[in-house]
Amino acid sequence: MKDDIIVTKDLSKTYFLGKIKVPALKPTSISIKRGDYIAIVGPSGSGKSTFMNLLGCLDPPTTGNLLIEGTDVSKLNENQLARIRREKIGFIFQKYNLIPTLNARDNIALAMSFSGKKLKMRIDRAENLLDLVGLSNRMNHKPSELSGGEQQRVAIARALSNEPKIILADEPTGNVDTKAGDKIMSILEDINSKGETIIVVTHDPDIAKRASRNLHIHDGEVTEADY
Amino acid sequence: MAIISLMGIGEGMQQAITGELSSLSDTIVLSSGEITANAFGGGGFEHADGEEYLTERDISDIQRINGVKDISTVLFSYGIVTFNGKSNSVSLVGIDENNMESIFGIGVLGLEKGEFIKEGKQNTCVIGYNVAYEYFDTDIRLGNRIDLNGRSFAVVGIYKKQGAGMSTETDDNIHITPRDFEKITGQSKSSSAIIRIYDVTKADSIADEIEQAVNENHGTDDFANAITMSSIIESIQQILSIVQVVLLSIASIALVVASIGIMNTMLTSVMERTREIGIMKAIGATNKDVLLIFIMEGVLISIIGGAIGIALGVLGSRGLSTVLTGSFGGGGLTPVITSYSIMLGLAVALIVGMLSSLYPARKAAKMSPIEAVRYE
Repeated sequence: MKDDIIVTKDLSKTYFLGKIKVPALKPTSISIKRGDYIAIVGPSGSGKSTFMNLLGCLDPPTTGNLLIEGTDVSKLNENQLARIRREKIGFIFQKYNLIPTLNARDNIALAMSFSGKKLKMRIDRAENLLDLVGLSNRMNHKPSELSGGEQQRVAIARALSNEPKIILADEPTGNVDTKAGDKIMSILEDINSKGETIIVVTHDPDIAKRASRNLHIHDGEVTEADY
Repeated sequence: MAIISLMGIGEGMQQAITGELSSLSDTIVLSSGEITANAFGGGGFEHADGEEYLTERDISDIQRINGVKDISTVLFSYGIVTFNGKSNSVSLVGIDENNMESIFGIGVLGLEKGEFIKEGKQNTCVIGYNVAYEYFDTDIRLGNRIDLNGRSFAVVGIYKKQGAGMSTETDDNIHITPRDFEKITGQSKSSSAIIRIYDVTKADSIADEIEQAVNENHGTDDFANAITMSSIIESIQQILSIVQVVLLSIASIALVVASIGIMNTMLTSVMERTREIGIMKAIGATNKDVLLIFIMEGVLISIIGGAIGIALGVLGSRGLSTVLTGSFGGGGLTPVITSYSIMLGLAVALIVGMLSSLYPARKAAKMSPIEAVRYE
């Protein structure tokens, strides 16, 4: 039996617009198993990104608890959260979010620099990861010299650089064409087949269908969905 | 840059002035009898008692004192100067032609025109500023002949105007060689001497020794009076350090402006890179990581700026002093850039860079990753 890698207990997030409460995520209790391939689906404004930010330890919850590999992260301070993000979570954003002034290899190496690895090791690993996503010939290209699909593959390599347990992908194919999107998804699935937990936020039903488990979000409410 | 050039000029000024003064300060003025600080002075001198002259024995005793480089006696008397048929009373100073230049030719003293008396040259004189331009209806020029006590002398040099106050005032004096002095006054004994020493710092103790030796020879306590220049130099150095403080305050104002500039640059950079900061935080950079990145950047900017500033400062202070000495005249003021001021400049740049990037860096570090990533 696989263990739970993520457990939420009544996890919620409420934003305040002036004095008006906006419940972005209603109390949610779910558990995600190690090695799961999960798609979070929902229309825009439904609370997908809020849920994603909470799972990714980017945003502290208003109430409830979030356990990542058994550690309750809802009470951690900013620096401890940063360490969790660095060690356990790899992010892939819709807009790639590469550092524009660094080339592909250095973007990946930078992510590893925060964990204090030696430069030589970082460069070596960055090159291996670029090879994994099929971009070893684009190593010295700046993000602006890469296509959207290529940039997203660099972002995947970067997300993998610190050997995270969980990959969080927020609309990873949202800005690329179908063919490039397919390539990105197959890389992610390949990683998943090696035991990595993948959580993909999407509004594309075709992508959602490829996942082993779907979570629907509507008006801040998370429900289990089956196709 | 401001710091380096101002410090350079300040240091240069201090060295130029003390350099000129220290050539004075290695002299001790010895006078006998009642003559005190005004021994050299124009006109204030009167010698009542013939027995109060320095003797040969005094001179040789002084020469034997440790640290004494050389000694030359100075003769004083009143004389009558006649030019174009008009006469005036004047202070005559007889001094060895070699010492004349080394004592009166330096720094704030010195000649306005002409040259000092050449060795062995007879019947020539160097006259004070007032003698040349005030005493007679027509100005005395170089090469003019004047009569001193009825004997004709050629004017070879005219001193710059000194004004009152300096103990080596020359304005109302006429300087001639001791030989000529003896010829026209009949006096060969001197009551004063100028003693030069090797080590300026020992001036006071040597002065004491000289007084003691001369007093012993004459069997009294208060025959001799040896005066060093060091007290004058001390007060001048004090004034100079005030000037340097003023220069440094100007530099620190420039510094404040510069640090605001760095802060502004860094703040702009933080704003521009909000997204980048968010990404770095999202992929695991702690607040400290971000803080360090931005402080390092600020320090780097300021060190590069500091290095360029030092280079410009060295060139700038050179250029400035050349222009200034060109337009104001006077002895060359060479800016002195010490390794100390370069180190200080760099250290200040470093500290300013660090301090002024601290606030922007904190701002960057405090940024929330989601807001930063969302920021377009």
